[in-house]
Amino acid sequence: MKRATRWLFPLGTGILLLAVWYGAKRLWQIPSFVLPTPGEILAAAWQERRTLVASVLITGRGALLGFVAAVGVGFLLSLVMAFSLRLKQSFYPYILMLQMTPVVILAPIFVLWLGQGLPAIVAVTFMICFFPVVANTTMGFLSADRGWAELFVVCRATRWQEIRYLRIPAAMPYFLTGMKIAGTLAPIGAITGDFLAGTQENGVGGIGFMTIAYFSQLKIPALFATGVTACLLGFLFVGGVSLLHWVLLRRWHDSFIGSRRN
Amino acid sequence: MRGKEGFNNLIMDPGLHVRLAGVGKRFGAGPGVIEEFSLAAAPGEFVSLIGPSGCGKSTLLRLIAGLTPPSAGEISVGGAAPLAGREGVFLIFQDANLLPWRRVAANVELPLMLRGDPAGARHERVRAMLDLVGLPHAAGHYPWQLSGGMRMRVSIARALSVAPRLLLLDEPFGALDEMTRDRLNEDLLAIRERDPFTAFFVTHSVMEAVFLSNRIIVLSANPGRIAREIAVPFSYPRRPELRETPEFLALIAETSHALRSVLPR
Ligand SMILES: Nc1ncnc2c1ncn2[C@@H]1O[C@H](COP(=O)(O)OP(=O)(O)OP(=O)(O)O)[C@@H](O)[C@H]1O
Ligand SMILES: [Mg+2]
Repeated sequence: MKRATRWLFPLGTGILLLAVWYGAKRLWQIPSFVLPTPGEILAAAWQERRTLVASVLITGRGALLGFVAAVGVGFLLSLVMAFSLRLKQSFYPYILMLQMTPVVILAPIFVLWLGQGLPAIVAVTFMICFFPVVANTTMGFLSADRGWAELFVVCRATRWQEIRYLRIPAAMPYFLTGMKIAGTLAPIGAITGDFLAGTQENGVGGIGFMTIAYFSQLKIPALFATGVTACLLGFLFVGGVSLLHWVLLRRWHDSFIGSRRN
Repeated sequence: MRGKEGFNNLIMDPGLHVRLAGVGKRFGAGPGVIEEFSLAAAPGEFVSLIGPSGCGKSTLLRLIAGLTPPSAGEISVGGAAPLAGREGVFLIFQDANLLPWRRVAANVELPLMLRGDPAGARHERVRAMLDLVGLPHAAGHYPWQLSGGMRMRVSIARALSVAPRLLLLDEPFGALDEMTRDRLNEDLLAIRERDPFTAFFVTHSVMEAVFLSNRIIVLSANPGRIAREIAVPFSYPRRPELRETPEFLALIAETSHALRSVLPR
């Protein structure tokens, strides 16, 4: 019963939304170049499948590279900042400043420095993913229980042992949370990136680029279809991070064992 | 592993000598938690600390472990000032303090791994320690799968795995039922026969203090001071039946009386 409702409720909501969609369209006679039906969007997606697959690959590549760079650099920088108050004080204000500067302003600067195309897109994605990783992971490194830290002192652990066997495992839940937020942002970053700095080959570019192209060609159902594609890409990222979260934490962390405890 | 050297240890190294002279401790600008505290424990002596909550028992252990510096006076452990993380000194914490991401065996193994023992010897020692605390079947469990008492026993196994020369125990058996506690008391003494160590043992149980110690220190609160010292004359090894003798019961009565006189009304 519980298993069934898990699927039935979201399914019911979906059907309801579709009904409202079709109903509104019929009731107010909304033309398809303003609001296409889901059927028309799917048809357009099928028709444009080659273009869409190519564009999702382009955007996905930019998103993945930017995401991986942000996670890697963010993790290392957090580690460094967690172990030296002086370094944290030196870096943190500037990291905040970068985060405060809107990406739409940074993008043209990246284009200026890196040229149109992949490097600029990766840079935009990096900028958007970086902060959640750093903020969460730094917090994680500093949040290890004081009793645990004292245990490591009593055991005469070296600095490196403390990092390896205490700080990194204790920070994992926080790191993965930062990564999850970054995962939802990476496709958005990359799409913004190719919206502002994207290039094309034979009329095919990233998702952000295709949005502009379809709009200018008034291919409205196809425009909606790029939205669906972007959404799928987002799910792919979040799914990947969730999988990692599950693999690393399922055995011991409260977020997984809470329900099993009783 | 250590069994063979056990006899030698008994003669040559019964444990570390600990001496506190006029020790005071305050945190920041707060009131003195401990004042004018002087106490010496001979190598291999088992000293219990008993007193009202908040009188500074945990603080005293942390001072001896070198985890926090005294504000006044001098402390020496084995002839030297206490140093955080000194070889042979181990602290059993008030809560079990296990790492939730490590299985039971890996938690017990942690101190041995951190000091670089070879894997084979480590695993043998972990198995022996888990047998000792009655948890051989729990080696593959995570801490969240254990009861509070089981977690505490893992913590004890972890401390004993390094064969300490000075063991500081902060209410290690407080969360256990009386039967388990009695058994672990006996086990602790048995281990000490083989691998002697000096012990400071904080407890709220008078019976436990009398059964384990050479000496019981009754503390008064605000600030923490020695109110009474009670020598326990029974020789080691102590048999479980000791608990039923009139001499034992008389000493319990004496200690309880001393404790009642320091408890705030
Ligand atoms: N790090 C600290 N900073 C400030 N005050 C502290 C600190 N640690 C302990 N204290 C204070 O020192 C006093 C003694 O604390 P301690 O933990 O040593 O008591 P205790 O005798 O172990 O009590 P219990 O039997 O409840 O465990 C308490 O009043 C406590 O508030
Ligand atoms: Mg205490």
